[in-house]
Amino acid sequence: MIRNYRREVAVAYLLILPFVLTYGILFLWPTIQMVYLSFTDAPLIGPGSWVGLENYYEMFDDRRFWTAVRNTAYFVALTVIPNTLIGLAIAMMVSRLKGWQQSLILAMFFLPYILPVSVVYRLWNWMFNIQFGILQYPISAIAGENINVFRTQWLFMPAVALVTIWWTCGFNILLFLAGLRSISPDIYEAASLDNANRWTIFRRITWPLIWPVTALVLTIQLILQLKIFDQVYLFVQGGRPDPSMVMVQYIYSLAFQKNQGGYGATVAVALFVIVIVFSVLQFQLLRARGEK
Amino acid sequence: MSDIVLKEVSKSYGAVSVLDKVSMHIESGEFIVFLGPSGCGKSTLLRMIAGLEEVTGGEIHLGGQRVDQLPPNERGVAMVFQNYALYPHMTVRNNMSFGLQNVGTPKEEITRRVEDAARMLEITQLLDRKPAQLSGGQRQRVAIGRAIVRDPKAFLLDEPLSNLDAGLRVRTRLELAQLHNRIKATMIFVTHDQTEAMTLATRIVVMNNKRIEQIGTPMEVYSRPATRFVASFVGSPAMNFLPVSAVGEGGSGATFAFSGQSPVQTAVSLAGLPRDNLTLGIRAEAAHVDPNGAIQGVVDVVERLGERTLVYTKLSDGSTLVAEDKGISAVQAGDTIRIALDGNAAMVFDATGKAYHAAR
Repeated sequence: MIRNYRREVAVAYLLILPFVLTYGILFLWPTIQMVYLSFTDAPLIGPGSWVGLENYYEMFDDRRFWTAVRNTAYFVALTVIPNTLIGLAIAMMVSRLKGWQQSLILAMFFLPYILPVSVVYRLWNWMFNIQFGILQYPISAIAGENINVFRTQWLFMPAVALVTIWWTCGFNILLFLAGLRSISPDIYEAASLDNANRWTIFRRITWPLIWPVTALVLTIQLILQLKIFDQVYLFVQGGRPDPSMVMVQYIYSLAFQKNQGGYGATVAVALFVIVIVFSVLQFQLLRARGEK
Repeated sequence: MSDIVLKEVSKSYGAVSVLDKVSMHIESGEFIVFLGPSGCGKSTLLRMIAGLEEVTGGEIHLGGQRVDQLPPNERGVAMVFQNYALYPHMTVRNNMSFGLQNVGTPKEEITRRVEDAARMLEITQLLDRKPAQLSGGQRQRVAIGRAIVRDPKAFLLDEPLSNLDAGLRVRTRLELAQLHNRIKATMIFVTHDQTEAMTLATRIVVMNNKRIEQIGTPMEVYSRPATRFVASFVGSPAMNFLPVSAVGEGGSGATFAFSGQSPVQTAVSLAGLPRDNLTLGIRAEAAHVDPNGAIQGVVDVVERLGERTLVYTKLSDGSTLVAEDKGISAVQAGDTIRIALDGNAAMVFDATGKAYHAAR
């Protein structure tokens, strides 16, 4: 067949045009605007005047900014690796089941993932309720008294992390299950003939073969959890927000509550850079480890 | 000693039976081939010996020890899988040493065994590569190497040649035969390819429909098949089957008439033969194109194979008889020819498929 190259290129451009337009208008342009805004003293609405790097100097001296960074890092540490490991463990258990049993159990683990965050908040707020919450039984059994978990500073982040893992684990299980299914059963049979016990099979066969999926899950989790907002925002209601402030929450508070659009944009740029640097770095590192 | 004894071994998945009371005795050092069409249960039987499938009924003994309730690793067998099942993330060296590491073999011992096996299989230069960097034939060698280093009581090979291209398959077949001659281990080889079975086996186990049809040396299975199934499955072209009726006893055996042709004298004894529904079985090499032959037919297709020619002939009742002619044959499609049958090589099957042969 004789192909008209110019025509094909024209059609290709035509086909990607809607996406490029949407991407440009809804992502690229606002991003550029945000970076620009971070060099101004703009309020929430309307332009501001150019202040150069002043916002950035301010940010590095801002105690609340560093609290937000620390809290976000703490939350990431509490969720990313545990969520990944729990997802893998559950996926390995689910993968041992067959047929409808597997589908049923998988559906049950995936169910929380489709819930909106407001429902998740209501559920767990009730379960942790200091007077009526069902979780107060084990809490009082351990602590000797009922505890208002979301009003106790040192328990707040771990509790939100627990809720987040419960909420988002289903998706990781799904990814891991797909990865586990792609390992040929023959390989496990060969390993069983090769005298490998369960732990050896996991350590020398399953874990290395599932590693690309693990790297992906870790990276997705890292990006997602760095952007934590909704859960903290909801659970902190009625309490003191400052000590448990996370980055997106701080951006929100600066821009929408304190009318500091320019400075808010500066913190947003900082988060943007952190997400990009850490996720790219992590993914590259993990991939390199997998190829070793 | 690593003989293998199967006693009435059965396998069923729920109500579906896939193997029905299979018994056999495999001598130490034998090269046994399980031959049969797909779905006959041959791979299942092999996997049951390996311990990868549970036994529903019966017993399996390996080297005098009952093993059917033992896990795969305690049976002392090694398996080569159809798609090799190499560990994709490990180098060839690690693939081969994995099994030895798991039983705590000393390092120097592992290195020595792996290198010996690699030298034997000529894969020394591949030891540090990963399976993805190997060709199909090389992967196959690694899979065999992985089995050899473990020095197993028996090698179980599940259609190991089926993923190789034709030329490589023939070469690997030869190498497997040489390997068996050298290490003299008990080997069980599963295939649906009768050429592989004929060339490799010390004995062939022909299986069909959950059962063993016949166990015998390749030439026994070829020239004295126990059933019509074995006769049709082994040999190429497939054996000719002609519906016949017995007309009498001649000098050396019964004579049979068919399709309005003159009767054929065979060496099969008439005594003990049923009267009705008989089928005469004769291979193409015992049916020659011959101007003085007793059978007449019209040539349908001529296949020229070089050293011989196969002539597919339509008889007057519509049945087809494949006959042989010399390599350079003048026969053309549409010709009317005469064929001489060598009745001494013929056999008879009854309605159930049981074979009746000439007395030895």
